[in-house]
Amino acid sequence: MSGAWLPVATLATSLLAATLIFALPERAWLARTSLNLGAALIKLGLVGWMIWGLHRGLEYAVEFPVAAGVSFVLRADALGIMFAGLSSLLWLFTTLYAIGYLEDSPNRKRFFGFFSLCVASTLGISLAGNLFTFLIFYEMLTLSTYPLVVHRGTRKALAAGSVYLRYTLSGGLALLLGVVSLHVLAGDIRFGEREILADLGAEWYPILVGLFVVMILGLGVKTALVPLHGWLPRAMVAPAPVSALLHAVAVVKAGAFGIVRLVYDVYGIELSYQLWLLHGLVAISALTILYASLRALAQQELKARLAFSTVSQVSYIVLGVGLFGPLSTVAALSHLLHQGLMKATLFFCAGNYAEELGIHRIDELDGAGWRMPLTSLAFTVGALGMIGLPPTVGFISKWYLGLGAVEAGMPWLIAVLAASSLLNAAYFLPILQRLWFRPGPAHGQGEWPDERRLGRLETSGWLLWPTLATAAFSLLAGFLASMPFSPLEWATRVASQEYLL
Amino acid sequence: MAILPEALAAALEVMLALLLLLMALACLVDRYLRRACRSFVCFAVLMALTWWQLRAPWLAAVEAVLGALLTGFSLFFALGFGAHHRLPRRDTLPGASPSGVRSWLLPLTWWFMAAAASLLLVDDVGTRLSEALAVLGPLALVGLAIIGLGLWGFVRHRHLLRRLLAFNVLGSGIFLVLAEVAGPRIEAQALILTGLIVALFGSLLGASLIRRLFILDGRLALGSGTGGKE
Amino acid sequence: MNALAVLGDEALHLTPSLWAVVWLIVWGPLLLGLVALYFPPHRMLTAAAAYLPVMAATGWLVATIAVSGPRHASLSLGELTLTWYLDGLAILLLLLTQTVLMASAVFAVGYCRTAELPSRPAAWLWPLLGGLSSGLTLIWIAADLLSLYVGLELMGLCAVALMLLPGEAEALAAGMRYLLYALVGSLAWLLGVSLLLGAWGRLDLAGLAAVAEPGAVTTLAVALLSAGLLLKASIFPLHAWLAPVHGAAWIPVSAVHAALVIKASFVILLKLWLLLAPGQMAAAWLLGGLGSLAVLWGGILAWRAQGLKELVAFSTVGQLGYLMLAFPLLIGTSEAVAALAWRGTWLHLAGHALAKAAMFMAVGSLVLSTGRSKLVELAGTSRRLPLPLLVFGLAAVTLMGLPPSAGFTAKWLLLQAAIRGEQWLWIGVLVLGTMLTAAYLFRMFRHSFDEQAPHLTYRRLPLGMDMMALLLALAALALGLVADWPLELLWPWGGRT
Repeated sequence: MSGAWLPVATLATSLLAATLIFALPERAWLARTSLNLGAALIKLGLVGWMIWGLHRGLEYAVEFPVAAGVSFVLRADALGIMFAGLSSLLWLFTTLYAIGYLEDSPNRKRFFGFFSLCVASTLGISLAGNLFTFLIFYEMLTLSTYPLVVHRGTRKALAAGSVYLRYTLSGGLALLLGVVSLHVLAGDIRFGEREILADLGAEWYPILVGLFVVMILGLGVKTALVPLHGWLPRAMVAPAPVSALLHAVAVVKAGAFGIVRLVYDVYGIELSYQLWLLHGLVAISALTILYASLRALAQQELKARLAFSTVSQVSYIVLGVGLFGPLSTVAALSHLLHQGLMKATLFFCAGNYAEELGIHRIDELDGAGWRMPLTSLAFTVGALGMIGLPPTVGFISKWYLGLGAVEAGMPWLIAVLAASSLLNAAYFLPILQRLWFRPGPAHGQGEWPDERRLGRLETSGWLLWPTLATAAFSLLAGFLASMPFSPLEWATRVASQEYLL
Repeated sequence: MAILPEALAAALEVMLALLLLLMALACLVDRYLRRACRSFVCFAVLMALTWWQLRAPWLAAVEAVLGALLTGFSLFFALGFGAHHRLPRRDTLPGASPSGVRSWLLPLTWWFMAAAASLLLVDDVGTRLSEALAVLGPLALVGLAIIGLGLWGFVRHRHLLRRLLAFNVLGSGIFLVLAEVAGPRIEAQALILTGLIVALFGSLLGASLIRRLFILDGRLALGSGTGGKE
Repeated sequence: MNALAVLGDEALHLTPSLWAVVWLIVWGPLLLGLVALYFPPHRMLTAAAAYLPVMAATGWLVATIAVSGPRHASLSLGELTLTWYLDGLAILLLLLTQTVLMASAVFAVGYCRTAELPSRPAAWLWPLLGGLSSGLTLIWIAADLLSLYVGLELMGLCAVALMLLPGEAEALAAGMRYLLYALVGSLAWLLGVSLLLGAWGRLDLAGLAAVAEPGAVTTLAVALLSAGLLLKASIFPLHAWLAPVHGAAWIPVSAVHAALVIKASFVILLKLWLLLAPGQMAAAWLLGGLGSLAVLWGGILAWRAQGLKELVAFSTVGQLGYLMLAFPLLIGTSEAVAALAWRGTWLHLAGHALAKAAMFMAVGSLVLSTGRSKLVELAGTSRRLPLPLLVFGLAAVTLMGLPPSAGFTAKWLLLQAAIRGEQWLWIGVLVLGTMLTAAYLFRMFRHSFDEQAPHLTYRRLPLGMDMMALLLALAALALGLVADWPLELLWPWGGRT
């Protein structure tokens, strides 16, 4: 227990930042910005330190009792730190982006305060060492994202916020019920302690299956599994950085990460397989992938199309978890990171188009590639990654997923993957074609919906650089996939622990 | 009292009990408010006599001062005695409608519970009801009757002053039952003493409220919720 | 179960210094209040400083009892003996009471000044708050029915008088109704007590628990006691008086009332049932059923409420319903279930007290600075009044039972108890109640986040008022994470170890 303070310090950084931001006056732009960036950098450093420590075999854990029989446990393990690394890296970029995006708009203090609370919750989720702690941060995340979703305060935003709450709070309740029941059955289950549930004996298996279904209902809401995905497309009314946050980093990922934890660390992969739980996950995720891709095809709004694409892409993670075998685990975990990088890039780009040119619909994008080449390049990288073209990161995920499907004896899933890739191509390629190959206002035909010159470059630097950075990271993660500390390498490490232990 | 022959004491007790009942009745059914208040003062004096007769001289003194004098004063204050704004002399409000089952059911249950429990206390060995009634003594019986009357008044009347009167009568009935079932214990006297003080403060608060409400907007009854306990 | 008696004999008696501390806590606030009647405080700091000795004494008492175990005290007045008992529960309730009272008193100083209350009634606020404090303290430490009666009445009369201070017709009418109900409630209580005294010849709880046998008289007595207490605690269906009273009262008064006064009746009720009706499972289920209806009906009323104060007041009705679930979960259940339910109940009580006081204060700030009291009129306030809304939000987290908060940990424990005891009905109640609570509390945010509303003019309030509310709300949150220490103090109780 050499570094018990590290997880606490990581969490405290964001909490403290949130408190200070709430305490600062609305006008204190400089103080708030430096606080935001400072906290994000410190946190990235701390997480990096923990990654290095874990690599050397150190252990970071801290716990204290909360009430009769439950403890608050923070513990950094290989799986958790992976998610923590993703969120703190993307956090830095999202914060930068948000600072530029919300320039001169009202209520920035509120926005950034809750933004920091959000990252604190996400980190808490990744560092939680038992279900109770996980639940605490999972619900904290729900609450701290609500003000971000309704940030604009328009009727549409408020309605979307209500829908969001209805879904997530009910999901949270289902999860709570499941977790409490598990606690009654088996006590305080720590992540990483194996076979507690398997030892209960066969007479409890039906109940365990029931509880699993209840908890998947709870987690599935945030993961946006069909048919629990309704809130996500509606939450598109939120500002672009919030969308990036919901889709790439925090909310959706928290759900997916929860499913990963539930299968690997609570039920155990063997027991889940034995109880046919994995088969259920495969079925529902395959359904989600295809259904959401089809829906995405029908969307004319850029953000709405991206939203349905998220629904479909996140289910790759669930699919990878559901396939029984180390390769699919690698696919699931690495996709957790890859999808985050790509989706953040895409949403940043969508935000850039909207801010600079006032573009919200896909048919307004004609020729935008020539007006905003760097942004469009980043968009292209993200979109090709989503389709899964080599050598992007998306290809790596799909490749391993396919191998995993064969390994698990479900080769028919390759058909699902192929179909979804085709659908991905069908809804992303037309956008790329419009961006680069259709004449538009950049060629003197017509006008942009609402053009604003935000900077000397194609748009404001605050908006452009984070976009380029995430795009670059997603490319790097693909090119350098076999290097140490790459997402793929780390996912392999986690998977080997899951299957060898 | 010790100096009186037993038969005389018993006769006195019965007489006192009957007088108490009569005064309670007079106080509760009278629509002329000043007369009702006067009846209440007489009732309180009789209560003081009863405490004297039950060998609780301290209680008698407290009842005379708090119950008769101060409560009486606060009641007449509520009437606006000697002040500019006087309450109307007669309560012309119709009684609360007896159709609300809920408003009757609860007080009735209340009363039956009190009566049953008092009976059970003496009925430990399983004597018959008629015998138990005989054992209970006239004061306890009258106490129960007064409780019933008080509850009736509290539920039926809408005029706030009359409800306040009903509350005071109800309280006295409970004191009587308490004194009978608990005997001459020091704890019982302490409870009654506390009860008397509470009743006084309640009456004072209530009286000043009635007065203020009448002066502010001529209100004599609460708009709704005239039911019993609910 | 009767171990209040057992523990009572084993427990130490109060040392003279502890006696002094107890007297200070019982009468100190009343004395301070009387001083303030003639010299009303004008600065929040003055009020806080004046209250500090009482807080310090409370802290010292808590520390002493926590370390050295429960204490027993008897007070002889001639032939009459009053018994007091200071155990973990009593001192924690004391700490809670003094915390909420101090915060409310400090808040009240600012409130009186900014709301420009008439000075004479405003001065009476102080002695009445002091009397309320004395009554509550007496109730927490009383171990006989006479002390409880005195405490209950002192508290009740002070509470009614506090409600009347605004002096408007609405407040007076609501107060009159409250007075009548409170008085009738106390008469029911008195009748119950007299039956117990007649049947068993004593009033001390420990002795009663030892000698009282279940039977018709005990049952009837407990029924009468309960009827009186349920009325005073505004438990469904006897809740009708609550909302009008709160709607008309001053904010600090509402805060104290909802946080503490109503709870006092519940605490007495629970104590009496555990001692006198340990086997009455059917009746306990009846109370649990009433609680469930309160959760649902209170939630629905709050959901439909138009006024801010009304919403918060109805929410109290619903939240009290959760507390009533303690009866079926504690009475006639196994040790493990009772242990969880016992802790969950007290945690919920404490969390709700802190959060509800904070919420009332937040509402007070909002109403005072906007001059509006309807929910729909608050559109757009989140931009101008972030702090009261933040407080409201934090308090709402506790009331909804979302983590991290005392409400959440309490719900966790209660759910666990219900699952273990296989009392599935209450699980449904807890789940439905949570959803309803979220539904009515988020209405508030929906309105306040609305940016398209016309902007109102706002009045600036002293920062100290909001800070007090914030401290209470944060305490309710923190209690959820550090609940272990206070909850272990509550254990063992009543002979179960």
